Amino acid sequence: MPGPVKLLEIRGLRTWFELEEGTARAVDGVDLDVREGEVLGLVGESGCGKSVTALSILNLIPAPPGRIVSGEILFRGRDLLKLSRPELRAVRGGDIAMVFQEPMTSLNPVFTVGWQIEEAIRFHQGVGDRRELAARGVRLMGKLGIPDPERRRGAYPHELSGGMRQRVMIAMALACSPALLIADEPTTALDATLQAEILELMLRAKAESGDAAILLITHDLAVVAETCGRVAVMYAGRIQELADADPLFREPLHPYTRGLLDSLPRPGTGKGTRLRAIPGTVPRSLSWPSGCRFQTRCPLAQDRCRRVEPELAEVRPGRRVRCHLVGPEGRA
Amino acid sequence: MHGMTRYFLRRLLLIPPTFLCITFLVYAALRLVPGGPIEQAEFQIRLAMMEEGGGGGLMDRSGELQIPESAMRELQRYYRLDRSIPVGYLHWLGGILRLDFGRSYVHGEPVLGVLAARLPVSLYFGLIGYLAAWVLCIPLGVLKAVRHRSAFDTWTSVLVFLGHAVPGFVACLLLLVLFGGGSWWDLVPLGGFRSEGWEQLGPAARALDQLRHTWVPVAGYLVGGFAAMTMLQKNSLLENLGADYVRTAFAKGLSEGRVIFVHALRNSLIPVFANIGNALGLLFAGSFLIEKTCNIPGMGLLGYEAVIQRDYPVILGTLVFLVLIRLAGNILSDAAWALLDPRVRFEG
Repeated sequence: MPGPVKLLEIRGLRTWFELEEGTARAVDGVDLDVREGEVLGLVGESGCGKSVTALSILNLIPAPPGRIVSGEILFRGRDLLKLSRPELRAVRGGDIAMVFQEPMTSLNPVFTVGWQIEEAIRFHQGVGDRRELAARGVRLMGKLGIPDPERRRGAYPHELSGGMRQRVMIAMALACSPALLIADEPTTALDATLQAEILELMLRAKAESGDAAILLITHDLAVVAETCGRVAVMYAGRIQELADADPLFREPLHPYTRGLLDSLPRPGTGKGTRLRAIPGTVPRSLSWPSGCRFQTRCPLAQDRCRRVEPELAEVRPGRRVRCHLVGPEGRA
Repeated sequence: MHGMTRYFLRRLLLIPPTFLCITFLVYAALRLVPGGPIEQAEFQIRLAMMEEGGGGGLMDRSGELQIPESAMRELQRYYRLDRSIPVGYLHWLGGILRLDFGRSYVHGEPVLGVLAARLPVSLYFGLIGYLAAWVLCIPLGVLKAVRHRSAFDTWTSVLVFLGHAVPGFVACLLLLVLFGGGSWWDLVPLGGFRSEGWEQLGPAARALDQLRHTWVPVAGYLVGGFAAMTMLQKNSLLENLGADYVRTAFAKGLSEGRVIFVHALRNSLIPVFANIGNALGLLFAGSFLIEKTCNIPGMGLLGYEAVIQRDYPVILGTLVFLVLIRLAGNILSDAAWALLDPRVRFEG
């Protein structure tokens, strides 16, 4: 049976940071595939390595202190980590585009938003004609639901609201119809009321501009539930569980995934019921725990968990879990 | 833009009251401080008499100098000190408004003429020094930021701070000792604005002579402001290179050159350019120490000598000039800032 076409394959990615206190192994052996056209959610608490994974894909890790120590990132079969600078530039913003969390600081304050959107088109597609550039800029902004795009095109980032700025960021990312859009916490900095709207727009715009795959990085499981077809749960620099969204939410297998879901308020939970937070905090990337990296916070941890780290094993078709207590027969 | 116009209009309207306050305070201070022009004159006379050993008609019985009442009044009127401070100030101000700055006690010429003769000299060196600083400091700062923590960065930092530790006039002295035709090389004149008989030279010789007189003072001005400007440019660019929008620009697939020189540089120039007003003030004022060292008849030296000689009209004249330049410079800085940074919108 031919599986879905893999667009991006991350194999054994390790991205470390050399700090004064030691080596922070922020991403420490990540394996992850993104398929053509899908929306894959990458979730986990702050500090688990999600953003570093995303930045590693386009080699945007600030070096020093960061360094991609090992691994491959295959995009349509080509290892992005082995590209020359011009080749990498063609991929960045062309084949793979990125949307960042803070739309205020992620846009250049001294250039108009139209100029910044059109810059990508100018450099990737060699469009030099001003009128054509303007027309494409306006069209993109209109697609993202920016009202009066002809006028907004000449606005500076600070003249727009947070929601409008994030629309500009997405328009900029989609300007060259990328095959993969990496969205790093795209709605975290926005009002809750705006989040759904922006996500909706992003999905619609993606569909209209050549059906890009989306790697959506978020700590917000509600966002994942609404938008993603598949979910990868990350903890302590590694993927802990990988599954289609529906089964994952219906039956989380990894104790960490379960902890994340239990900490969410649900319609069924009565008032006054306390949400169950995962005890403790994410360990520091300078020294991950021995054995299973979640054992320090896992309610089910056993002796074996403290000694041996489990493999990310396929427990069911299309479902992988890194836990000793989850066998083919089901949950721990 | 409406708010902006109002803002700048308000700033302009604030100039007259500020100007009045400063000039009145200085005027009053000059009148109150002992050792005015009359005392100076008395002192001169006493000195002269002591040398002669004779009394003359000005000595009273106890040997004290006794200027007759009428002569004293005459002196006071000559120095315009016969009025109370407020009245005297108003008279002086009235003169200023008619562009009559009075006559220099020392030079005997109208103050405006004295200033007009000195200003171009200060401006010449100051302006060249400032332009040289821009031409050298901005590229150096940019290069240091781009090669942050490289050997180049380290060594230029050592040089920059070494220069920073040396005052401008000391640098001038050093250059004059080395190149002024003493024990080492004879490359530059020992000072002055131009050589004697400059007017008689041909155009090429004139330019060459002027150039020979330019190096040392300009180097002095340059050394003074070099470190601050270079490091301001470096740190400003470095800060911008770490900004989120730079990462966005890289993620868009732009080349390193474009990210640095279009995206980050444009932002990093804002604080450097916005300093232009302050620099302008310094530039017109001239540096007294450098002018003294290099024997340049500029504004700084003029102001200093006027204070020593209690030449009130000249002191007040230079003050008027510097205050106006300073106030205009501040507005210019604000305007430069508003021009470069679209986020800046002054509320009217």
